[in-house]
Amino acid sequence: MAKKKKSMSETVDTVFAEESAPIVEALEEKQVSQDLATCLSKMCERPEVLGFILRDATTATINLKEPEKIVDYALLTSQAMESSQEISQMFNLGDFESTLIEGKNMKTLCFVLDENRVNIFMEKDVDHADILNSVRQ
Amino acid sequence: MSNQVYALALDNTLREIKNVCPDVTSIFVFEENSKTIAKDDDTPQETINKTVEAFQAIKSKAETSGGLEAVTIQGSEGRVNIASINNFYLATVTSRETDEKFVNSLTRILIPTVVKLVDQIQPAIIRNDEPTMAAELELVEESIQEPMQEPVEYAYQEETVEDSEQPEEEMQAVEETVAEELIESVHEAQDENVEENGLVLPEPPVTQVIVESLGRLQFKSDTVRIDNSIIEQWKDLYGDRIIEEVELDALNGKTIRCKFSPVKDSKYQGKGVIQIPDKIQVAMETSRGKLVMVKPVVE
Repeated sequence: MAKKKKSMSETVDTVFAEESAPIVEALEEKQVSQDLATCLSKMCERPEVLGFILRDATTATINLKEPEKIVDYALLTSQAMESSQEISQMFNLGDFESTLIEGKNMKTLCFVLDENRVNIFMEKDVDHADILNSVRQ
Repeated sequence: MSNQVYALALDNTLREIKNVCPDVTSIFVFEENSKTIAKDDDTPQETINKTVEAFQAIKSKAETSGGLEAVTIQGSEGRVNIASINNFYLATVTSRETDEKFVNSLTRILIPTVVKLVDQIQPAIIRNDEPTMAAELELVEESIQEPMQEPVEYAYQEETVEDSEQPEEEMQAVEETVAEELIESVHEAQDENVEENGLVLPEPPVTQVIVESLGRLQFKSDTVRIDNSIIEQWKDLYGDRIIEEVELDALNGKTIRCKFSPVKDSKYQGKGVIQIPDKIQVAMETSRGKLVMVKPVVE
């Protein structure tokens, strides 16, 4: 009898949790995005970091030192993510972790963190692994 | 034509890279225009085409970055790196455990070296250039010798180096093998070209030598004596072709064609010396201690 009570209680709890899950998750996601945006904004204070684009499911946060390049950067990162996932699948690389695009003047680091697409633009000689680690922490 | 030679040389190089790094699961080289130049045996052409297409899509959007030099995609189980090397792009697929620095060092040294070697060894076939100058030909000789000599030095140092330096040794060993195979490949390609297209032999190498007198009592006054090492180089270059005469160019522009034989006097061996009978010296308006250029007459 006691067992049955426990079971019912658990069930009720579960149902309750399931109903409220999307709201809780959305709130958590928003919080994560905000934390991430704050972290990236701090990183942008470093002179060698040129800016970032942070996209979640519904919004995008952009912070660029050269705002006129926003369209170019957005197109590049969007294409890079698409092509990278295509190449990852072809060579069975497993879960996609990051893409680094090295140009003659700068480099761009693209990765996914908690369903947020993060793109960081930096000067060529910056240690991108260090940037990636600090954001992930 | 040029791609055929590059393909032969790079195919061997890629094979050796895979031998040294079994963690390299896929490796191929393609051109700016997306054409595949060389690839390993395990990667299907269709996969390469799709990869190149995906890469070109990124490249087309990368003008902001000042042109694209490299793309590295990191997955949970492996990594793809596509990097610009000389006028080509090299794509390398490795497992997660691979030592990235080692693979990068290996590929970014070997591929440019091989491309440079091909450019230098086969200037006539690849570029259809005008006859090359003496300095360029000397460079060719040096470039053939360099990669084959370096590993000897490393082999000597092998006993003293520490374990952490092993990748460098491996790299040198690969360079040696690749250089040998490259030279063979280029010779093969050259032979094929001669058969197919009736192309001429490699340009005769021009060597700068110092004049030494042969003496007035020399029996054969129309024959010069040349350092044996120079004659050996010609034999290596032209194989069974019989070379009976040489052309001598003095710095004043005087040119003469005459017979030759190896230097007999041991004190002149390996010194880059040519012994010229007085009669020929007079005709060329040159003398002992001056420089002349010598090249074989190949017919």
